[in-house]
Amino acid sequence: MNAQAETLRKNLVDAIVECDIDKTKSNVEASRGILSPQEIIDALSEGMHEVGIKFERGKLFLPHVMVAANAMTSAVALIEGDLAESMTGGSRGHVVMGTVEGDVHDIGKSIVSTMLQCAGYDVNDVGRDVPTATFLEAVKEGNADVLGLSALMTTSMQTQKEVIETLIEKGMRKDVQVIVGGAPVTQAFSDKIGADGYSENASEAVKLVHRLLGN
Amino acid sequence: MTDMTPRERVLAALRMEELDRPPVAVFTQSATIGQMEALDVYWPEAHSDPRMMAKLSAGQADVLGFEAVRATFCLTSEAEVLGAEVDPGKMNSQPMLKSHPYKDAFKAKEEVDLPSPEEVLNSGRPKVILDAVEILVKEYGDRYPVIAGNTGPFTLAGHLADTENLVFGIIMSPDEVKKWVKAAAEYTDYFTQALSDAGADVVQMSEPTASCDLLSPEMFEEFASPYLKEGYAKLKGAKSCLHICGNTYPILEHMIATGADALSIEEKVDPVKAVESVAGRVPLVGNVGVVHPLLQGSPEDCIKHGKAVAAAGLNVVSPGCGLSALIPNENLLALVKSVKG
Repeated sequence: MNAQAETLRKNLVDAIVECDIDKTKSNVEASRGILSPQEIIDALSEGMHEVGIKFERGKLFLPHVMVAANAMTSAVALIEGDLAESMTGGSRGHVVMGTVEGDVHDIGKSIVSTMLQCAGYDVNDVGRDVPTATFLEAVKEGNADVLGLSALMTTSMQTQKEVIETLIEKGMRKDVQVIVGGAPVTQAFSDKIGADGYSENASEAVKLVHRLLGN
Repeated sequence: MTDMTPRERVLAALRMEELDRPPVAVFTQSATIGQMEALDVYWPEAHSDPRMMAKLSAGQADVLGFEAVRATFCLTSEAEVLGAEVDPGKMNSQPMLKSHPYKDAFKAKEEVDLPSPEEVLNSGRPKVILDAVEILVKEYGDRYPVIAGNTGPFTLAGHLADTENLVFGIIMSPDEVKKWVKAAAEYTDYFTQALSDAGADVVQMSEPTASCDLLSPEMFEEFASPYLKEGYAKLKGAKSCLHICGNTYPILEHMIATGADALSIEEKVDPVKAVESVAGRVPLVGNVGVVHPLLQGSPEDCIKHGKAVAAAGLNVVSPGCGLSALIPNENLLALVKSVKG
């Protein structure tokens, strides 16, 4: 990478870390034709990774992460057309993500989806208040490697367990790794309901999926 | 001091008077299936009938031996009368907001005409809660403290304009966020006073959306504190108790500065450190874990945690957050026993 390209790349990373949507978009425009779409995505993802680390360390907070994630998504939308033609890197795995039925909280879940996308996964975010049957269909349809279940209430946590039980009933449990998260959820709860993994925040969730899929 | 009524004990604890033991009372959402079955009153019906609500609100005392009664089981009634769609939930799950009436107005930065607090909060389920509090005061008020719960301004603003808009707006459109929290505070303040006027001894306001999981301490100070402070300064009658979920250790100072008469904290805060940090400036209510030990642990775990919280010096031993309806009676009975002996 020449000096000009390296500067553009670094500007992209910085714009995401600064949580600046407009700057990210204008930097993407400035980079087009000089950086490949893949290089642009990689730089944005590097920025998101850094945002995740700063979030874990308490240097950035949820509003920052949401804005950075929005910057990332709007930037990717700008180059979607270029991407289709030149996409080189394949997906690292297929993930289905959603908040379980009876629970409408989805800020954290959406951030995990974005972070996983940034890390190279193909993510099907099926939304919030998602019936168990919908999760199972999405897993089957996408031949998913990982199913992520979010729950933010002590009542809806029980539904995470129900989804896992339904997977077992339908003979699908061995085909997919199940990860759980959400404020009341703990590692102990995850173990108890037979999930394959738990993580406390979005960056940890990415590491968890890497580990489960051997990436 | 053994002849103190639960009401005297709780109110003395909130004045931080020295007691032979702290009271044990559920200040947060208190209903469970065990109480519903014992009283033959169930969710979702109990959310919208004052008699049923009062009966189930007293379940923590009548069925389990806790030292308070506490009305309302959710944080959706205020948003509902302001136009949010609500799924009433089931026997084992709380009502849930399905829509946010001012989501688009927030994004478009529209000026909207909001109904007056008097009009909406004396109708629908808020009125049910006010009536239930009156029933509780009449039937239990001589022996038990009547706790009433409501929704804090930042959280209610999220219910009205969508929490995602609010959190995103903190960076992108801070003035719009303040406008909506201020608007929500009009309702919160009115309802807090109305609950006090209905005879509640304590109004426990829940402000979960302003927790450290969502906001930095600086953001809390800028976007949540001012409205809480203003409301508490105006409140006459009842004691105010501010409940915030998650690890609130970093904002304990800010919570004290709101002027709340008591703070209710979750299990993610170390009780010993919390007591040390607050240092007698305000009474603390909490913080036995709802998931562990109450939902998943054994009665022995509940006894251990209850004793630890009492020994740490919390003024009122209470669950750290709203109870899950699925918590078994034996665990709650064990918690009561751990404190009352």
